[in-house]
Amino acid sequence: MFALRKFLGGLRALFKKEREEGELDEELRDFVEQRAATKMQMGLSRQQALREARMEMGSMDSVKERVRAVGWETAFNSFWQDIRFALRMLRKSPGFTTVAILTLALGIGANTAIFSVVNSLLLRPLPVEDPGEITVLGMQQKNEILSQYFSYPEYEDIREQSSGAFSGMLAYRLGLDGLSVNGQADHIITSFVTGNYFTMLGVKPFLGRLILPSEGKTPGADPVVVLGYDYWKNRFGGDRDVVGKSVSIDGHAFTIVGVTPKSFHGLNSILNMQAYMPMGMATIEGDFKGDFMADRNARGFIVFGRLKQGASVQRAETTLNVIAHRLSEEHREDEKDLALSVFPERLARPVVLPHNPIIAASALFLALAMLVLLLACFNVANLLLVRATVRQREMAIRAALGGTRARLIRQLLTESLILALLGGGAGIMIGVWGSAMIGSINFHVDLPIFLNFSFDWRVFTFAFVAAALTGIIVGIVPAFRASRSDLNELLHEGGRGVTGAHQRLRSVLVVAEISGSLMLLVVAGLFTRSLENAQHMSLGFDPEGVLNLTMDPHEVGYTEAQGKEFYKQLLERVRALPGVESASLAFSVPMGDTYTSKTIAVPGYTPPVGQQQPNVSNNVVTPGYFKTMRMPVVSGRVFSDADDEKAQQVAIVNQTMAKRFWPHEDAIGRTFWAVSAPKKPYRVVGVVKNAKYAAIFVHGESYFYVPLAQEYTPIETLQIRTKADPGNMAAEVQKEIESLAPTLPVFDVQTMEDSLGGGQGFLIFRLGAALAATLGILGLALVLVGIYGVVSYTASQRTHEIGIRMALGAQPEEIRRMVFRQGFFLVICGLAVGLLGSFAASRVVGNFLVGVSAVDPVIFGGVAVLLAVVTLAACYIPARRAMRVDPIVALRYE
Amino acid sequence: MAAISESKQSELVQGTLDMLILKTLALEPMHGYGIAMRIEQISKGVFQVNPGSLFPAFRRLERAGWLKCEWRATENNRRAKYYILTEVGRRQLKAETREWGRQIAAIARILEAS
Repeated sequence: MFALRKFLGGLRALFKKEREEGELDEELRDFVEQRAATKMQMGLSRQQALREARMEMGSMDSVKERVRAVGWETAFNSFWQDIRFALRMLRKSPGFTTVAILTLALGIGANTAIFSVVNSLLLRPLPVEDPGEITVLGMQQKNEILSQYFSYPEYEDIREQSSGAFSGMLAYRLGLDGLSVNGQADHIITSFVTGNYFTMLGVKPFLGRLILPSEGKTPGADPVVVLGYDYWKNRFGGDRDVVGKSVSIDGHAFTIVGVTPKSFHGLNSILNMQAYMPMGMATIEGDFKGDFMADRNARGFIVFGRLKQGASVQRAETTLNVIAHRLSEEHREDEKDLALSVFPERLARPVVLPHNPIIAASALFLALAMLVLLLACFNVANLLLVRATVRQREMAIRAALGGTRARLIRQLLTESLILALLGGGAGIMIGVWGSAMIGSINFHVDLPIFLNFSFDWRVFTFAFVAAALTGIIVGIVPAFRASRSDLNELLHEGGRGVTGAHQRLRSVLVVAEISGSLMLLVVAGLFTRSLENAQHMSLGFDPEGVLNLTMDPHEVGYTEAQGKEFYKQLLERVRALPGVESASLAFSVPMGDTYTSKTIAVPGYTPPVGQQQPNVSNNVVTPGYFKTMRMPVVSGRVFSDADDEKAQQVAIVNQTMAKRFWPHEDAIGRTFWAVSAPKKPYRVVGVVKNAKYAAIFVHGESYFYVPLAQEYTPIETLQIRTKADPGNMAAEVQKEIESLAPTLPVFDVQTMEDSLGGGQGFLIFRLGAALAATLGILGLALVLVGIYGVVSYTASQRTHEIGIRMALGAQPEEIRRMVFRQGFFLVICGLAVGLLGSFAASRVVGNFLVGVSAVDPVIFGGVAVLLAVVTLAACYIPARRAMRVDPIVALRYE
Repeated sequence: MAAISESKQSELVQGTLDMLILKTLALEPMHGYGIAMRIEQISKGVFQVNPGSLFPAFRRLERAGWLKCEWRATENNRRAKYYILTEVGRRQLKAETREWGRQIAAIARILEAS
């Protein structure tokens, strides 16, 4: 109330300024008049009375100033004055202004771009009710890695027993399915959800209804589907009559019952879910049979919990510990040494991981970007210091005219703040461009990836705060410097302005800049080297000249027999095409996104005490696979057409697996079996060379292959080794597939080399190297400009001194050496500090590198030499200029 | 705050000028010079109020809503700005007077104690 009145009074004053001024004027004059009248009554002459009255009052202007100072609007007025003045000053030196704004824009832009990515990956909350309460569960059995996949009975047990800490708990399973309508099938990503999925999240339908809590409890009972908003828009053209329509999913009839709202993309932070079905309908997926709801080992469900209001993650974890203990007691086999954990949803993006590397990488790149901004700050601060020297006279005059020191500092800070805010504005534009560049990365997978790097209020706030802080950082020291001028000395001619302290400060800036950019370049070098290593790593197969096409006949309802027949005919037809060297099928493509594993038992092998039975990844392939991939066979044989469903089950193992289970004997002829099917042992018929399987950064994995004929999985990738460019064959092969199965969706059509660029392959190495290199180059550019500026400015300030030296007989060569020596010293200091800093930072960086030490001497040395050469060149130019000073001109300058 | 030009005159205790103005206006609306004169007279010349303090105080009290002002004709038929105590101002005066009394008593006790 009180504040409001003050505010309104001020507002009125702002608008009725002239009237109020006039009134105050009249009032004050009146006061003097009356005072004088009183004094005249006491016997003074009118003239003398007026004079005394005026003297008592003092300067009328100063009284007015004090009255004006009462309201807040005065502060506003003078602030406005500062802004206008600052803008005028900046316009007066467009060169300086442009350079400063551009420099800051680069720094702020780099930060904003990276922050927008971090914001999207980690900060932006899920578009659900009270997103802060949403958590993700993790589980771990002894000596296994932390996983987020639970079996349905586990989920049920945990949900029932944890109601003390959680107000709700849901489970969902990701699926890849085929949705057909009007004879056209799509390969889509789906979620099979528990009935409480949408109610627990608090998501309301955009159209129709969502999955109901009563649905999904019985396998196969509720054939309804809810479409994701974007899929509905793209596939059904936003048709509102879609509700009630019949579609076929994996050959089963479903009814569309609703559409989710636009903002909701499902619970995986980087996927844009296309359809949701009740959990019970997961039976339509080929590899998931009807008993999944009772099988404790069928782990494929991701569990999200909503914390009770006020319940903490710690409390939830305590509750889960009790449950884990109870479960491992009750189910000694399946839940042996079970441990449960819980993560706030944002820290578990995109999946639950032991030490989420996304968080560490975000912190690392934000830190690098901040370093770039710091370099930009140093440069601009240095420019402002130079300006402060130049403007010392102006400041002295203003101080003489009554400007207080605080007022002068405020004025100068306003200038630097305006610079920074303009830089911030330009920086946001650079940031938008930068984040679009990062967002355009190709994941080499036909999935609806959801990366929304758009700028929301968080990004804008970040950019604004960064700009404001920048303004203060770059402005504060020069402002204090400039306002501290000694009036007397300066107003007398001869104040040359350059003081020792100035020089020292500038030297510190240069050293800091060199060390900062050295750190940036070292990180860039390490990441680039790591990418190179990754790309030249021995893959164990030959990716060149191979074309991949993935399909899943199950998506259009093919039975196993139909599928096998289809694949058989397809291989025959493709092999007959001209230009095809070999063709084969594989369930799993290296660095792809489908993989499977089996828990196995090997006669004669007992796992170390306290460890589970080994879980080994495997692939399902056709006989031509090893030829197509050019995987060398070490011993034994590859699969043949004779290894069919009627023959004995066979397997081919890799070298690591052979050595692990049969260290002292030949693996050929040995047997092992999947714990889930002990009556169907595999006989090892061959050993192949080790290769890279699931991810490029995993080494020394055990791996085995089984023939497709003996273990049918519907989703397979057709791999074709061609004589010419494999990319050119794609259309032809797709035509063959279409003629065999007209509606079958074919996806991830790309060369093997392209597919290596995906998320499990080179993607993160390329992204890391590109980002680090960009920041490193920015840092290098900034340090060059900065050092050149400082050295040439200092040299120009010393023109007079140089003139005297030359007049006294110094040779140009000596002068050059003198100027150069100063720069040289700074460069050496900077390099030393930077190397120390890089050593300190290497521990963090090391986690992201492959095949290169984080303190790699070649990179450290190389970068130091590069930086030394470049920065010394930046010193050399001004030094040469100093050498050419004409002593007469330099001395006459006085 | 309030200034003094001669040694026998005292400086106003910080913050009391506002209270004195409010008190003066509690009797009747007055113009600026009148208020200054009244304070001087009643204090028997101990306090002399400087315009440099007086006018900012008016502006401050007005903004706070304790005073309002009006242009009126004076006794000798000139136009002058008259300050009038508002209801809020009256309450504020009461509160400040009470607080002042408390403080004076407290200070007196401290002085006596030593």
